[in-house]
Amino acid sequence: MLEQLLIFTRGGLILWTYRELGNALKGSPVDALIRSCLLEERSAETSFSYDAPAGGATYTLKWAFHNDLGLVFVAVYQRILHLLYVDELLAAVRREFSHIYDPKRTAYDEFDEIFRQLQKEAEARAEEMRKSKQSNRAPPVAGKKQGPGQRAGSQGNGKKKGVKVGSGKDDGDGESGKGRGLSNGSSNGQENGIEESSRVPSVVVKGNENGTPEVGAFDVNKLQKLRPKGGKKSDAGGGGGKASKAEPKKILKKNRVWDDSPSKSRLDFTDPGDEKGDNIVDVVAADQGESMMDKEEIVSSESESEEDEEVESAKPGTKKKGWFSSMFRSIAGNAVLLRSDLTPALKALKDRLMTKNVAEEIAEKLCESVAASLEGKKLGSFTRVSSTVQTAMEEALLRILTPKRSIDILRDVHAAKEQGKPYVIVFVGVNGVGKSTNLAKVAYWLLQHNVSVMMAACDTFRSGAVEQLRTHARRLQIPIFEKGYEKDPAIVAREAIQEACRNSSDVVLVDTAGRMQDNEPLMRALSKLINLNNPDLVLFVGEALVGNDAVDQLSKFNQKLADLSTVPNARLIDGILLTKFDTIDDKVGAALSMVYISGAPVMFVGCGQSYTDLKKLNVKSIVKTLLK
Amino acid sequence: MEQWMHQIEQWVRQQPVEQLYAAFAVLVVTIAFFAILRLLKPAKSNTIVLAGLSGSGKTVLFYQLRDGSPHQGTVTSMEPNEGTFMLHSEMEKKGKLKPIHLVDVPGHSRLRPKLDEFLPHAAGLIFVVDALDFLPNCRAAAEYLYDILTKASIVKRKVAILILCNKTDKVTAHSKEFIRKQLEKEIDKLRTSRNALSTADIANEYTLGVPGEAFSFSQCRNKVTIADASGLTGEVSQVEQFIREHVKP
Repeated sequence: MLEQLLIFTRGGLILWTYRELGNALKGSPVDALIRSCLLEERSAETSFSYDAPAGGATYTLKWAFHNDLGLVFVAVYQRILHLLYVDELLAAVRREFSHIYDPKRTAYDEFDEIFRQLQKEAEARAEEMRKSKQSNRAPPVAGKKQGPGQRAGSQGNGKKKGVKVGSGKDDGDGESGKGRGLSNGSSNGQENGIEESSRVPSVVVKGNENGTPEVGAFDVNKLQKLRPKGGKKSDAGGGGGKASKAEPKKILKKNRVWDDSPSKSRLDFTDPGDEKGDNIVDVVAADQGESMMDKEEIVSSESESEEDEEVESAKPGTKKKGWFSSMFRSIAGNAVLLRSDLTPALKALKDRLMTKNVAEEIAEKLCESVAASLEGKKLGSFTRVSSTVQTAMEEALLRILTPKRSIDILRDVHAAKEQGKPYVIVFVGVNGVGKSTNLAKVAYWLLQHNVSVMMAACDTFRSGAVEQLRTHARRLQIPIFEKGYEKDPAIVAREAIQEACRNSSDVVLVDTAGRMQDNEPLMRALSKLINLNNPDLVLFVGEALVGNDAVDQLSKFNQKLADLSTVPNARLIDGILLTKFDTIDDKVGAALSMVYISGAPVMFVGCGQSYTDLKKLNVKSIVKTLLK
Repeated sequence: MEQWMHQIEQWVRQQPVEQLYAAFAVLVVTIAFFAILRLLKPAKSNTIVLAGLSGSGKTVLFYQLRDGSPHQGTVTSMEPNEGTFMLHSEMEKKGKLKPIHLVDVPGHSRLRPKLDEFLPHAAGLIFVVDALDFLPNCRAAAEYLYDILTKASIVKRKVAILILCNKTDKVTAHSKEFIRKQLEKEIDKLRTSRNALSTADIANEYTLGVPGEAFSFSQCRNKVTIADASGLTGEVSQVEQFIREHVKP
């Protein structure tokens, strides 16, 4: 049974709740829904599951929007019940409520009656569907899209199965009840074969936070894991091989100049007689001026009105007709936005995003989410569809890229200092993204703010990693904790932190070896390092050149950290450090992909190879560049 | 001099009449236009902005001020609530009172940029703080308050700020003095961490307080006061007082 059905405005006022069921909901599922799903631009997903914190019930939430009136309809029910009529009910409620809605009114008691009726009807219809299926004895397990944006088809078996199944009931799901236009007849034939092998198919709905269904004879997750991991790397042997930070071996080699800036005088920082690193030569501390973190970024404001025209002209053929009709409608100002209107504009936008190196999956989800928030809205007069879509997308991008927690590291460092513990930052990432380089840059920046830093060389695998850090430490004149190679990184890190406590360093920067996200033993080792030492900040270092792999990297890293964690509240990626930003001109999409998939803010941006090349992310300029 | 005047008179006499009339009309219109502009400009804005962390009670307060009750409750706002109305308690009062334009800006961190749209027109800002659940959110609240206090649109126009301790109807709510002291301490720490070395402060356009001294709200260039209220039960008299002070009828 439904626990609750709420209707509220986008401004937050509850207009109507289903009042018969007197039990209050445990926890605050609706707030959690808004914060983690609707505001994160995941509104195209189909449902959201919520675990009440004090070990209460677990709920599933479904929602519907009425974009024109600015209303949201949310239905909450227990997760173990798989109610089939909820989507239909929400659509019916939305229809009926929009008739009686009035912006000035705040109480809608007469809706109780209407709702009871709608609920009865919906339940009756669901019952009917179920009975008719029982009599058929061949439940159509439909292989069609549940809703926009669901990607269940990527699972091991190439068939998309419908969403959840009646728990304990032996018939299949009630997808037909959702009225999504499936073709029962055609799928029946195919499904019979499948039906034998998998008795009660249940599927992980993409929107579910913890994906394992309770009643699942066929767990698609397991299937994924069984797939051979041949993929990218077979074992730890893949770790080495990337060029270490270059100290040119022969002086004959000319320094490479990437752009027209004058080349730096020397890149060879090795001190004479330094093979064993025993001679501590007194080097002047590197002082290259102010780190770019502290410099104000000058953003040029350009007008983008010309870009709209380009988009329009890019479409051949039928565009002219569409343009005329949309012009007329926009002048009249009464057009209600339909899916069909939005699709071309959204497609253009999606293509544009993808040319800016946003991962395909992310661009798709974003466009779906924007569509969900615009469907049914009335076009203002004199506005085109494309400009409405553009504004909505801009807002959505701004919302995603704005960090949801404070990225003021200095404040955190001060807080930790007061408590007398060192602030520990761990740099993780795949091979060759620039962890060691950017670690040195962060150390330089912290030093400029009068914070005492210590490095910990926990990359005990790659040749030259420890020397590399040692060189940086010497130039910056900060202590480094190292134990050489072939040691357990987790133990090295723990000892480093203890050493930091002893010599009262404020911050410990822990460098780890690069590892591919599919490499199970290495991910396990990373997880052990994080669990053992419980750092204050887990920084994922990702390069801005990465394309669709960003999604895979981040989601696998997060998943492994969550799965292999020993405590219930697993430590996940807390922040992102975007590197090699100077090598991409305006293809800044990787930032968006990473932030969307992980929810972590971008804390630093590395934009060069010298110590001062570290910046903060300028959200407005990124959004502008993405939509240019 | 007289000759010059005589020459001008002659020249004027020589012009056709219509031209003279046209010139005169244009002159009159221009003067009238400027006069109207000057009359309209110093009309003081009547916007009051409600800001604060998510969950501090802004939307409840908004509806309390507007309708006298928070109706059936609220959820996290996704969009700002705006309205121009007379305060509910003043509905019964006679006399011409200017309606206030109240804006409730969502507190969720992802929606922070929306605040910047409303600040340039604000006559006053009410920063709502949850007095019940204060200590866990103290840092976040202080950071938000610090950001607001250092924005150019607030400092230059000397917008008055009221720090409102909400939810005081509950027994375990902190007192406003305690909250004030905690906020001052936190903002002091923020000052040191944000102003540490850089002369070009990145996000904040102004610096707060006097260097070398502990921060206190009296050092701010604009007036900062602190008050109690309870959105749910309707104890909003201090809020209304503040509003009336800054939205002159």
